[in-house]
Amino acid sequence: MANLNIDSSKVRSYDAIVIGSGIAGGWSAKELCEKGLKTLVLERGRDVQHVKDYPTTNMYPWQFEHRNEIPFDVKQENPVVSRCYAFREDAQHFFVKDTEHPYVQEKPFDWIRGYQVGGKSLLWARQTQRWSDFDFDGPARDGFAVDWPIRYGDLKPWYDHVERFAGISGNKDGLPELPDGEFLPGFPLNIVEKYFKEQVETKYPGRKVISARCAHLSKPNQIHIDQGRVQCQNRLLCQRGCPFGGYFSSNASTLPWAAKTGNLTVRPDSVVHSILYDDEKGKAIGVKVIDRNTKEEIDFYGKLIFVNAAALNSNLILLNSKSKRFPNGLGNDSETLGKYVAFHNYSARISAEYEGLLDYKVDGKNPAGGGYIPRFRNLHKQETDFLRGYAAGFGAYRSSGSDQSGMGEDLKNSLLNPKLGNWGVGSHMMGETIPKESNYVALDETMKDDWGIPQLKISVDYDDNDAKMKKDYLDTMEEMFTAAGFINIKRNESSQAPGLDIHEMGGVRMGLDPKTSMLNKWNQVHSCPNVFVTDGSCMTSTSTQNPSLTYMAFSARAVDYAVNELKKGNI
Amino acid sequence: MNRRTAIKQLFVVAGGVMIATSCDFTSQSTTIALNHIKLKKSDEDFLAELTETLIPKTDTPGAKELNLHLFVMKMLDDCASPEDQKAFLAGLKAAEAVKGKGATDIQAYLKGLPAEDVFFQTLKRRTIQGYLNSEYVMKNKLIYELVPGRYNGAMKVKV
Repeated sequence: MANLNIDSSKVRSYDAIVIGSGIAGGWSAKELCEKGLKTLVLERGRDVQHVKDYPTTNMYPWQFEHRNEIPFDVKQENPVVSRCYAFREDAQHFFVKDTEHPYVQEKPFDWIRGYQVGGKSLLWARQTQRWSDFDFDGPARDGFAVDWPIRYGDLKPWYDHVERFAGISGNKDGLPELPDGEFLPGFPLNIVEKYFKEQVETKYPGRKVISARCAHLSKPNQIHIDQGRVQCQNRLLCQRGCPFGGYFSSNASTLPWAAKTGNLTVRPDSVVHSILYDDEKGKAIGVKVIDRNTKEEIDFYGKLIFVNAAALNSNLILLNSKSKRFPNGLGNDSETLGKYVAFHNYSARISAEYEGLLDYKVDGKNPAGGGYIPRFRNLHKQETDFLRGYAAGFGAYRSSGSDQSGMGEDLKNSLLNPKLGNWGVGSHMMGETIPKESNYVALDETMKDDWGIPQLKISVDYDDNDAKMKKDYLDTMEEMFTAAGFINIKRNESSQAPGLDIHEMGGVRMGLDPKTSMLNKWNQVHSCPNVFVTDGSCMTSTSTQNPSLTYMAFSARAVDYAVNELKKGNI
Repeated sequence: MNRRTAIKQLFVVAGGVMIATSCDFTSQSTTIALNHIKLKKSDEDFLAELTETLIPKTDTPGAKELNLHLFVMKMLDDCASPEDQKAFLAGLKAAEAVKGKGATDIQAYLKGLPAEDVFFQTLKRRTIQGYLNSEYVMKNKLIYELVPGRYNGAMKVKV
């Protein structure tokens, strides 16, 4: 690097560097910029500007060459991403192709990634529930993983903070296992979802069916209009990028807000190699980047480093950040880095039909997706032979179809005059999996990617606890469906590999004890205090709730702490 | 359908037909360029007849006018497995027995094929898919709304 002089290193110096621009990175950037720090966001993928770079967002079905199907060759070449429900012709440009970014599957793992500015925040399913003390004190109570260093009360003001800005729709349901938030009006259940709610809540005390809570602007407040976002139009084409800013994404919300401060620099095409650690100073001083296109190696410098590359890539970056002080990865004194990875179990669903309420149908679309059944298993006491529990989605729909058996004019008439059928109902499980040392990620010894960075080796699998939980979900839901008078009940077990849930968490877990965890209660690396990790990798356990809202809250909270510490001269 | 719409539709179905068509502009070449399978213009014309048999012109456009045969070709070429492509082409060849005959004969032939016949299944499925997702049907018959902007979970319908 002989061509770099002192001045050029000054140009590459910032107050803070954020690695990653997805849900966590966007929040870190917004909070840092608002607090006056010159902030650099490094994103390994290409730039994606709100609206401008949503090429399919206003396309009609007939305008897609393959009517939204993925061609056979693409599927063959990319078996992993092809298994993701949202990898279709309309959103394929926001997904990483297997062939372009290989990784090592010691055990099958469907790693679904979105490398672009905004990351997977363009693609997420937008379900947003707070975690509760049942989740944060779970490990201490049930004796799995290690104790969380925080409780719900620590995070509550930050949930309030991020919910107000992001815009979360929901109802005040008054459930201790699913704390209420700062909600915009919830999207109502449809008539059959309401019917099921009444059946369940009458026949099964303690079990609830509520409107799903989601990051959509049902009725925007001034703060959302100030972001340039308007009311959700119920299109359900979210995965294409929303020109209305109807759902929360980094692109529509946090990044443009951060940019308005004048403190934000986003550098796309920056594949992070490692975090630079200065052995003499005893702290991290910057980030080494390989330019995605030119393969040029560039160092950026910052006083604070926020690691928000998404769970497994944050693990990879820390593992690859080797120094004399940290030969096995930055902050890895505990030797827990890369271990205790966990995820959500989505491998069972159940469907049925309902012959009642046939004089009603749904008009329009519900972006929340319908109902949500909060965890009820092992909540107040351990009542089964498996640890933890599951939440479930529940939705009812009424589709119309036509007899397609004929030919000629009969067929044509039939197709043009579809008839409403029975209501269909369906549910899927979202089970908590137990973080175990044997579920780990590591750097592969030999395989490297196109940028000379070791490939990630993933070794994660289900266990007996997951199998027992899955059976309980299917048995319990079948019983509840039967009690509600649903017919043609079908249990569906999928053999999908971990990863397809797209809720991978852990590897850089929080904890009270530096001997058994990587991060303290402020998401700060125990042994390298100017590095903070606030994405999915920081999770000590996985709960049954969707995790994204919690990453937002962690990011905002950690920035607040970090900037105060920086001002006090402590880091 | 006016000519401009027809040309636009053709462009959409074929996805780049203007530049992608092979350099061979004799009567042998198909309207759209194919990457994996080989078809002649005469096959294309025959496919148009077959799709028209499934969705005939009435007081509204039929398959031929909507270019559904080109959609069937496109989907077969890009989205079917090599095995299914092979089976389809063999089925198409065999179906030439009814080439040039009337709709009744063609229907009788298709009805006589085994239920699991790849050729017939693909032909029918893709024709129906192309029809239901065509601009004509989605604008005039079963209206597709890009921006509904509403949600009513309990709308009364007549039983």
